[in-house]
Amino acid sequence: MKDIFAIARTHVVTALRERVTLFWFLIFPLFLLTLLSLIFGSVTDNEDVQFVISLIAYPQSAADLPFSASAAIEEAFTEMATPDASGRAPLFVLHVPSDGQDLEAFLDAEVTELRRGRRAAVLVLPEDFDRQAMTALSDASSAVAGARLYMSSTNVASETASSIIDQVFAELDRNLLSRMGRFDESQAVRDVTEWVGQAESEVAYIDFALPAIVLMGFFTSGLFGVPGAILFNRDLKVLRRYWVTPLSVSRYLAGFGLGHLSLCALQFVLIVLVGTYGFGASIRFSSPTAIATLILAVVTFMAFGFLITSLVRTANAGMATANILNMPMMFLSGMFFPVANLPAFMKVVILANPVTYLLESLRQSVGAQEGTMMPSPWTYVVPLLWIAFSTLVATRRLRWDVER
Amino acid sequence: MTAFAALLKNEVRVFTRDKMTLFFTLLFPLVFVLLFGVLMGNMGDVDQADFGWVDVSTSDDETLPHVLEDAGLHSVRRFETRPELEAAISDQRTDFGLVWDGANLVFLYNATRLQENYAFQQLAAGITAEFNIRKQDAFPVLELTHIQAGKIESTSWFNLVLPGILAFSILSSGLFAISGHLTHMKERNILDRMLVTPMRPALLLAAIAVVRLVMGFVSTLITLGVGIVVFRMTFTIDWFRYAVFVVCSTLGTMGLGTVIALLVRRPSSASNLANVLAMLMMFLAGIYFPIEFMPPFLRTLSSWMPLTHMANVMRYVTGVIDMSQGRFWITSAVFLGLALVLFPMMGRYAVRPLRR
Amino acid sequence: MANAPILQVADLTKHYGDTRAVDGISFAVPSACVFTILGPNGAGKTTTLEILEGIRQPDSGKLILFGEPMTRVDRNAKQRMGVLLQEGGFEPQLRVHEVIHLFASFFDHHLPVDDVLKMVALEEKARAQVRTLSGGQRQRMAVGVALVNDPDVVFLDEPTTGLDPQARRNMWDIVTTLRERGKTIILTTHYMEEAEALSDTVCVMDHGKIIAEGSPRTLTGRLGEETLIEFRMDAIENDDLVHLRTFCQAVHVDGLHVTLETSDLPQTMGELLTWSKQGAVPFHDLHVRQPNLEDVFLALTGRTLRE
Repeated sequence: MKDIFAIARTHVVTALRERVTLFWFLIFPLFLLTLLSLIFGSVTDNEDVQFVISLIAYPQSAADLPFSASAAIEEAFTEMATPDASGRAPLFVLHVPSDGQDLEAFLDAEVTELRRGRRAAVLVLPEDFDRQAMTALSDASSAVAGARLYMSSTNVASETASSIIDQVFAELDRNLLSRMGRFDESQAVRDVTEWVGQAESEVAYIDFALPAIVLMGFFTSGLFGVPGAILFNRDLKVLRRYWVTPLSVSRYLAGFGLGHLSLCALQFVLIVLVGTYGFGASIRFSSPTAIATLILAVVTFMAFGFLITSLVRTANAGMATANILNMPMMFLSGMFFPVANLPAFMKVVILANPVTYLLESLRQSVGAQEGTMMPSPWTYVVPLLWIAFSTLVATRRLRWDVER
Repeated sequence: MTAFAALLKNEVRVFTRDKMTLFFTLLFPLVFVLLFGVLMGNMGDVDQADFGWVDVSTSDDETLPHVLEDAGLHSVRRFETRPELEAAISDQRTDFGLVWDGANLVFLYNATRLQENYAFQQLAAGITAEFNIRKQDAFPVLELTHIQAGKIESTSWFNLVLPGILAFSILSSGLFAISGHLTHMKERNILDRMLVTPMRPALLLAAIAVVRLVMGFVSTLITLGVGIVVFRMTFTIDWFRYAVFVVCSTLGTMGLGTVIALLVRRPSSASNLANVLAMLMMFLAGIYFPIEFMPPFLRTLSSWMPLTHMANVMRYVTGVIDMSQGRFWITSAVFLGLALVLFPMMGRYAVRPLRR
Repeated sequence: MANAPILQVADLTKHYGDTRAVDGISFAVPSACVFTILGPNGAGKTTTLEILEGIRQPDSGKLILFGEPMTRVDRNAKQRMGVLLQEGGFEPQLRVHEVIHLFASFFDHHLPVDDVLKMVALEEKARAQVRTLSGGQRQRMAVGVALVNDPDVVFLDEPTTGLDPQARRNMWDIVTTLRERGKTIILTTHYMEEAEALSDTVCVMDHGKIIAEGSPRTLTGRLGEETLIEFRMDAIENDDLVHLRTFCQAVHVDGLHVTLETSDLPQTMGELLTWSKQGAVPFHDLHVRQPNLEDVFLALTGRTLRE
């Protein structure tokens, strides 16, 4: 057993002493976890998001109306651009023309700023807006008061701001109708949000992302770490030095596997610690299903790494293959982007990808996912099939020494 | 043959015979294009939502079905019972659903579909508003017309992503010209062999720059081509500014590569460090994750990254966004200036003996 | 006292495609001796050694190691063997003592790591990472790895190639010490002086075959009692050669370098000096020596070891 432990120790020590390995296997997953939590966590919380918009209300043609819809709209947006009592930053930063400013020129300038990404939206209330609104309110006909919203669909902020402004308008619409007695707020049906399954609220982003980052760590360790270690050691004849001793391939593999498992365990502990104490993740990986899935994941990705090792000739080819497979396998698994609604030909890749199944199982086992995309027995069968296939191919093809 | 011509020929040979470098420079960006093209094709596209609903009320009111028909959903399916609907949502056969009990519109969501629920909730709000109005026989008073003011008509964020991918491949090309290629030559003593001859280091650097420029152009054109042909994207390319910026930014990123090479102890560490920085920049430059939703300090960090500005300029020269002339020329000048300032340092780095 | 063979090889063959790298060789290695396989590059030395080390399997032939017949060197045999490979790396991030510990763990019995470090004079470098070692230090560490299990047989494949003269001397001292401690050393080399300095038995290989075997003295003795006179001329005419042949057994010419074989040194030397003075034929770098293994190889193959 001492030879197995010695090989395991060697594997861990050499990985940790190599700064590059340390970065990709430990620091990079933590960086990605941090980044994703900061970005997507803040979207769902909407705390830091702010949109710069412009509002141009033309002087209304109809005066002496009992009610000004445009004024109501201006008031609503001004309020939304004012910090609240707690001093929290408001949702909008509002740009309006100054007194006496040429409105057409202002509009042109603001639309240009929109095109340049410095405005999220430009809202224009034309000069007959109030008159149209009155007509619509009193007449109950299908006339409407039309406002224009300039936006840019190539700008995410613009898309989001526009959709918020749509909601504001819908709300204002109801207010106006209520005021005119055409809508009874007390009769309005409320919408209620409920969550399917066990959840009482939407899963926090960190709880959703943490299993993915854990798996990503295991995945890159298997995909890069296994071929990297074996192929470079083979090509540099480090392995040959082992084969002239009583050490057998199987004992070497046992030691290598133990070392790899130890590295993955270290990765797991660090990532979960950061996720839990740094970002407040509430999920726990202590259930038997979660532990089984984690171990299955380490073994699956390690076997996959051996598969690549057995299919390439040189260390550089191994690293190139790993690089090519890395992004597609990670992204076509639901790790970072939802894949439920992708076209059929992509679904094939997703369904063949062992990462997809392991991720779903892990998320489900920690309560960060309800159902799974595919029937539950297949959740473990496909990774096991990959292990079997990889083992079969690697056993036949993997060369443990350089050829003459 | 002059020394420069010979060096250029040599650099072309070295580049084209190294299949790995060739692949990663010319074709690897395509992996990103194809991947993200597909992934982002559908992201946030709410009219792809599959909706399910159940009416457990006792009324015969047809308002709700009509509202749902007009809501712009991909599909609307009526279920017999609430448990059936919940099972479909749980299994993601249905994206979200509604239970109408006569008093409340209860919207059901899958708690784990975080990245999509926000968009579904917007839809739900719209459905509720419309339902309420129609139910009381009221008509909307206000109408908000969206006018596309963006430079191009687009419904996909991929239009923004692809120029970002172009920017990233230019960054890699320039950065690794120095922090990969030149440092490898240094570590393998290939540079020493050349430098004991009358060859001027400036000529070698010029030859490397020319090859990288050409390869950068070719790579970006291939990537653009795939975007246009496979994903039917439209770009209005300002070829003059495109060329100007590819030249300036390739040279500028070569300068950045020099900074990295000067900072590290061993030449072999330069490409590792360059890799790390390129990866960090890729995530923070607003190419895959919108800058707008990053916390303020990350937005600030992002604004300091060369890749952020490169991505924006590439979006401008491919006609995706607008940009002031001043900003374009200043950005290009900064990159070119970086190259001019760092060029002598590149030369000195090349001749500096290896620290042993 | 005759030593029982610790290793016997009979009709060993190994092909690579159409090339016969090892072509039916047979030899026996007694215990507690230095057995050297000498030959030029491509002779089949390394392939032979790799078969004996268990890296390669022979296509045919018999192998008896430690009295046990085997088709391929097995794990039990490896417990008693130490191997210094011609080429081979170590994990660059490991420290010297960690490398020795690692290899020690592969054997049922091994020497204390500190003793091994002392044996190869690397005590001060025990905590240094492999990537910081010089070439000579790395080779010494590799020797330490080969000796960690206190082996009965040590295989050294080209142990001094690429080493400076001092490092080469150190390696020779290690080999001599090992032999004095009763170990059997099987080494390959293409350096004639190394084979002469260290070996009890030399086995000369060329093109996959053994062309001579014996102690260095026996082998050189086959060339007879001739002494060799070597010198360099500025130019060689045919008449010169004819004249030289009159006062010695044989004349060999290699460019401007001339070698005379003689069994009567004083006679030949006197006539040579007279001829040179009278005929105003200058020559340079004159020296007299006994035949060596290089001459043996030349006599057997018509080529030098370095060709």
